[in-house]
Amino acid sequence: MRVRRILVTIVGIAQGAIGVLAGILAFILYFNFLGVQTTLNVSAEFLPLYLLILSVFSFFSVISGFFLIHEEIE
Amino acid sequence: MATERKLGLSRAVIMGLGGAIGFEIFVLLDYAYFDLAGPTMVSALFLCGLINLLTMFSYSELSAAIPKVGGEYTYTKAAFGGLTAFMAGCLRWLASVFGGALAAVVFAQQLTYFFSIFIPAVQNFILVSTPLIAAIVVIILAALDIKGVKEATILIVVAFLAIFAVFLASGLWYGLTPPEVLPRASLGGLSGFFAATAYTFTMFVGMRALVAGAPQIKEPGKNVPRALLLSTVLLTAVYCGVAYVAVGVVPGEASVGSPLLNFAAERIMGEIGGVRIGGILFAVAGMIASISSVSTAMMVQSSILGGMSRDGYLPKVLLRVHRRFGTRYVAVIASSLFVILFSAIGAVEFLGYAASFGSLLVFALVNLSLMKLREKEPHLKRPFKAPLYPITPIAGIVMSFLLLTFPVLLRDVNAESALIFGLGLMALVLTAYYLRMVGRYRLRVAMGGISLGMGVLLALLIPLLIPRLPLYVLIFVSAVSIIAGVLNVTARTRKIF
Repeated sequence: MRVRRILVTIVGIAQGAIGVLAGILAFILYFNFLGVQTTLNVSAEFLPLYLLILSVFSFFSVISGFFLIHEEIE
Repeated sequence: MATERKLGLSRAVIMGLGGAIGFEIFVLLDYAYFDLAGPTMVSALFLCGLINLLTMFSYSELSAAIPKVGGEYTYTKAAFGGLTAFMAGCLRWLASVFGGALAAVVFAQQLTYFFSIFIPAVQNFILVSTPLIAAIVVIILAALDIKGVKEATILIVVAFLAIFAVFLASGLWYGLTPPEVLPRASLGGLSGFFAATAYTFTMFVGMRALVAGAPQIKEPGKNVPRALLLSTVLLTAVYCGVAYVAVGVVPGEASVGSPLLNFAAERIMGEIGGVRIGGILFAVAGMIASISSVSTAMMVQSSILGGMSRDGYLPKVLLRVHRRFGTRYVAVIASSLFVILFSAIGAVEFLGYAASFGSLLVFALVNLSLMKLREKEPHLKRPFKAPLYPITPIAGIVMSFLLLTFPVLLRDVNAESALIFGLGLMALVLTAYYLRMVGRYRLRVAMGGISLGMGVLLALLIPLLIPRLPLYVLIFVSAVSIIAGVLNVTARTRKIF
């Protein structure tokens, strides 16, 4: 059980952080900060699709990470 | 912690008047008069009072039969249970939040008017800072609510009634142009009339504070119904009288450049020593009334949240009582945040409609609950019974739905926005209820499955994504998602929120 607890904590924090970063990336992509659309070669045509994928991924990752962290807190 | 019953009939009436009387009349009459109904606004207010009275009969019966914390939420729960009660609670809470936000905005508006008289240079700064001022007012009153300060209510209500008595007497002394207060029997005339009724309806509904505060009232079976009826009659008389004087003072004018009541008071009370005494009096009254209403709204909101968290629909933390002041401080803080958010919008017409629509739907649900309980619990002890049953609740329901539809038929953009926004919020409420019913364990397993699926899908798409993102990043994200999915799916907890 001790291994599981350590794993739950690490994976929970990592997934939560990934979710938050994906959200931030979507935000940066939408406002095209530092010309990130060009850097990542994202065309305007596919921008809404990338934003949708990143938002959905971010949302579910944050919730899934939250459940894991919450298990450890409990 | 049980609440002590220490308020008598007179305090109960003051509690009802303190919730209902006040800030709305300083702001809603303008749009109702200049844009919707003209002088027929006076009849619209009378109709509001009548509809309010119809539903207050239902409130009286229900509050006397079920004198518990939570008001409308408790009644609909007893009648229908589950989803309907949750929706009623959320609607009531939202209407109260919108009302509180509107009150805070009105305070800022009256402050602007006040400074326009004494320090015109500051007026523009205050006008720009309206959302900030509204937010500060809410924060201060939330802090006072947490401390449990309630003694100012009597003084506020008495001062308010005195100011309006002076206004009515001055208006009659000044000499009015008798306005045509009855609506014309045309589609345009009736639409505007009913739209004004819907828009100004929120002026009356604050009286429900009395129902929410029923656990503090002595002999609730006797005192609550009496206090509700007394408050309704007094309020209708005062509002119709004030509107009649205001309309009689400014007949046929397209706009007056300052709040209608302030303008009317300026005109009929004149100047003393070069100071516009009437306008100042009304600005002060408007600010006092706004403060009173924000404070009452906070109390109502914490009561509703308390009722819903008591039943497990909301987190138990909302029931936490302050050790020193004995108030539900977490619920007060949570509600205050929403009030601040909506007061920052500052759109008076939108907030007015949103508060009214929420209240009208709650009124319809309360009337339905009364009918359902009469059928479901015929032997329930009812110290007060709604007269002319079932005509009164049916009339209340029909009028509520009529008032909901007329502003939209009139294509009032503010009404449409409020309705669409309200529907969106209700969709969120339904989602929250569904998630609550699903339970945490099943939700967690579902999230684990989704996380697992996302990780596998990402692993399969790695060859396609390599040109855009580094390989090690993709592998790391994919691995974390898969492991997290497995850990969530294999979780053993079966605790339901």
